[in-house]
Amino acid sequence: MTTEELDPLIHVPTRLKIVATLAALPDGDGLSFTRLQDMLELTPGNLIIQLRKLEEAGYLASEKTRNGSTQKTTVALTRKGRAALGAYTQALRNLLGGLDMSATSDEADTEQITF
Amino acid sequence: MNQTSGAAATDGGGFDPRQAAAALDQASWAARRSFAPTPPALWAFRSLVAIVGCGSVWLSVRDQHPYAGPTAPYVAIAFVPVVINIIWSSIALRRAGTGVSGPVQRAMRIWLSIMLGVWIVAYAITAPLFHATEGHPAWGWYPANAPFIIVGLVGAVGAVVLRVWPMAGICLTLALIAGAAGFAGPAGSWLIIGIGIGAMMLIGAAYTARAQRRSIVGS
Repeated sequence: MTTEELDPLIHVPTRLKIVATLAALPDGDGLSFTRLQDMLELTPGNLIIQLRKLEEAGYLASEKTRNGSTQKTTVALTRKGRAALGAYTQALRNLLGGLDMSATSDEADTEQITF
Repeated sequence: MNQTSGAAATDGGGFDPRQAAAALDQASWAARRSFAPTPPALWAFRSLVAIVGCGSVWLSVRDQHPYAGPTAPYVAIAFVPVVINIIWSSIALRRAGTGVSGPVQRAMRIWLSIMLGVWIVAYAITAPLFHATEGHPAWGWYPANAPFIIVGLVGAVGAVVLRVWPMAGICLTLALIAGAAGFAGPAGSWLIIGIGIGAMMLIGAAYTARAQRRSIVGS
């Protein structure tokens, strides 16, 4: 297994954090843009770009509500987004399992040579 | 997938899988801590509240024959940690729920409103009842455990209706502890409730701490 099998949309530090943060909420619940920004310590511009990419892929849904003069944006992970994170996590687990096994095998080889 | 791989590469994607696993776990831990309405420290403090609060009342009533109820200084001692708990819980709840919306959050708020009302009603019903019967009502229905039985049962039903499952379990356990405490008599029930709820809260603290630190990738 190679890193190419990891979902490239999630396998980016900023987007991985966004998806992991939203996945911590119960299914169907959403988070305001400002709270997400505070939690991840991102600039609004950077966060908007990353959210747009995830939304285009159908991984999250955003909702804009207007309260008087202020507009509030809420983002939530979709079922597709949760499934994608689940698949990504499983792929990562398999990949790390493979890496551990190869590391163990390397150690065993080294021991045999030293012995 | 092919459409997005190019975008990922330009975004700095393809970072080391071990780093990705660590970043995923850290983000999940931080989010779980941030969204938790009851952090482990608050669970542990509630354990202390139950033990100190009910324990102090039990100290004041354990030698009463017949049972006359707790004396004012002991009630004051019991109420100090209760008030601190209410303030801490309100702050934690507000902090966890800021910016969060959706069906589960809504259900949780409705359930909390119901619980607040039930606490008030439970004491409003039981206090006059105990005064009228000189603190000796029948069927193990004492000042210590009666409000907890009412709150526990109504809370469990409300939580089941709203599908807030952990709360349903907690409320049912609360009602069971309070019901069992009735066998210890009017004075002894304070002690049983203090120990029972204290232990339940400690288990809650340990469970929450463990759940918050659970690794997504490692599991």
